[in-house]
Amino acid sequence: MEKMKLKMLYSDFKPDIDIIEAELEKALNSTSHVLNDASLHLLRAGGKRIRPLFVLMSAKFGQYNIERMKYAAVPLELIHMGSLVHDDVIDHSDMRRGRPTVRSQWNNRVAMLTGNFIFGRAIQYVSHIEDPKAHQILARTMVEICNGEIIQIEDKYRTNQNLKDYFRRIKRKTAILIESSCEVGAVVANVDPLNTQRLKRFGYYVGMSYQIVDDVLDFISTDKQLGKPAGSDLLQGNITLPILLMKDHPKITRFIERASKGEVTEAERLEMLQIVRKSDSIKKALEISDRYLKKAMKEVENLPDNPAKKKLKEIALFIGKRKF
Amino acid sequence: MDISYIEKHIEQLKNDIYRNVEHKTLVKYTGNPLVDENQLFYLLLPFFDGEAWDDDIYQGVITVGIVQASLAKHNLVDEYDATTKQQQLTVLSGDYYSGRYYEILAKSGNISLIRQLSESVIIRSEHEVRVYEPTNYAIDDWFDSLSVIESECINRFYQIYNFNQYSKIMQNNLLILRLQNELLNYRKGNSSRFLQKMKESVGPDDSLNFEKYLQHRIEVLVDQLRELLRTSSMKAELKQYIAERLIRES
Repeated sequence: MEKMKLKMLYSDFKPDIDIIEAELEKALNSTSHVLNDASLHLLRAGGKRIRPLFVLMSAKFGQYNIERMKYAAVPLELIHMGSLVHDDVIDHSDMRRGRPTVRSQWNNRVAMLTGNFIFGRAIQYVSHIEDPKAHQILARTMVEICNGEIIQIEDKYRTNQNLKDYFRRIKRKTAILIESSCEVGAVVANVDPLNTQRLKRFGYYVGMSYQIVDDVLDFISTDKQLGKPAGSDLLQGNITLPILLMKDHPKITRFIERASKGEVTEAERLEMLQIVRKSDSIKKALEISDRYLKKAMKEVENLPDNPAKKKLKEIALFIGKRKF
Repeated sequence: MDISYIEKHIEQLKNDIYRNVEHKTLVKYTGNPLVDENQLFYLLLPFFDGEAWDDDIYQGVITVGIVQASLAKHNLVDEYDATTKQQQLTVLSGDYYSGRYYEILAKSGNISLIRQLSESVIIRSEHEVRVYEPTNYAIDDWFDSLSVIESECINRFYQIYNFNQYSKIMQNNLLILRLQNELLNYRKGNSSRFLQKMKESVGPDDSLNFEKYLQHRIEVLVDQLRELLRTSSMKAELKQYIAERLIRES
């Protein structure tokens, strides 16, 4: 049902998204069988391709040409994919999108080389664009994503963190890549500076909402829906918004302590999920996500009239209300 | 130009690389970036030899050094267990350096070098991953792979700035140094995956013969390098530096 909804939303861009999909496959083509298998394995596991979609939608406010825009849209998805492969090494994850991760199917070193190969391809692809501004945005994004990950590692199992720490982290971890997708799309399509800024802010707000929903889904979805055990974030020490909104709960504090020592049993994980699901923190977290969505909508309102405006709103709403 | 002049500039370059990727948390947990002074020498070789040189080229040199440092950090990630904080941050330090080289070149609008370096990362990754492939490569394929790993980034830099005349010497020397290190580790009982694969490719398990074979191949490469130096129009003191400092006995 959810996937159908997403398909409908993408329908206007279907021919162009198909071009991007084919380009992604081409970009991941390697002389090495292992790198081919490892990167195509991830590509074919799916993904919503929201970053390329935001690139294309933002470009609709300028001089849209898919043959040029693909050099911006493809790298955004590749950067996302490359960081997932390396994240799985950091998190020691076995499953991603319901499939074994590169590190679990091969090993950490192969995952590192696969991630590097994908990052290399992303930069090689975007080098078709001569405008340094697009490169500056992407480069800053890559550095900031790393900073976000570094902060996440420093914050692991740290129970005395506050909402500001969380927002700072998710801004760098997720929001910045969606913000950059919109900004790069606008820059490459020569959208005027004022509307480029609006699209950039829109991407940031949607990105914040996206990550909050993602963090909520980690608690309320089933293992099957997630393709990994529900509550994995907390098991790995990542204290997300629903937990921050109830972190003084004694059982949760105890759970974090046990998780930091790797002592959590399956029964305890299920109990933790019940506690979080029954609390009002899920509702509160989604309210905060809605506030970001409203801000995103306001930015769209200020954009010039264009059929893409309606699409931006629909996609943003879908992201805020999605169930997977 | 004497040895101290060369060493002073290598040291300066090392510090400039450190400065450009400085990150408090990463230094605390993973130490300074890993830079190979022999590779830095070859990055500076055109400068030492009196080629036209400016800030733009020097910035290029710094970014090549950063790319190499990024890949060197990633080589420290354990194959099966990267769960410690230090290992997790090792993954991120390589990624951070990689973002920084791109950021520096994007700021100066050096798109050509961005393209060349990204391609060198792709090609290096393809060669490094060969040790995990079931394919039976011939010994010369392994030599090619090691040569690409050691010299591809520098080669790309030479290409962009028309310093191709130094390529052969650089490639040959860096391959010799890598093989000598591999041999040294082999003798200590710490064979790398590369060396194991090379050994498999030369035939039945005969350690002594393999060692002799590898030593012989290194000697052939050394002879080739001496010949390259002899016919090169490079400054005599640089030839002497390479001959005395960079060609070791196996």
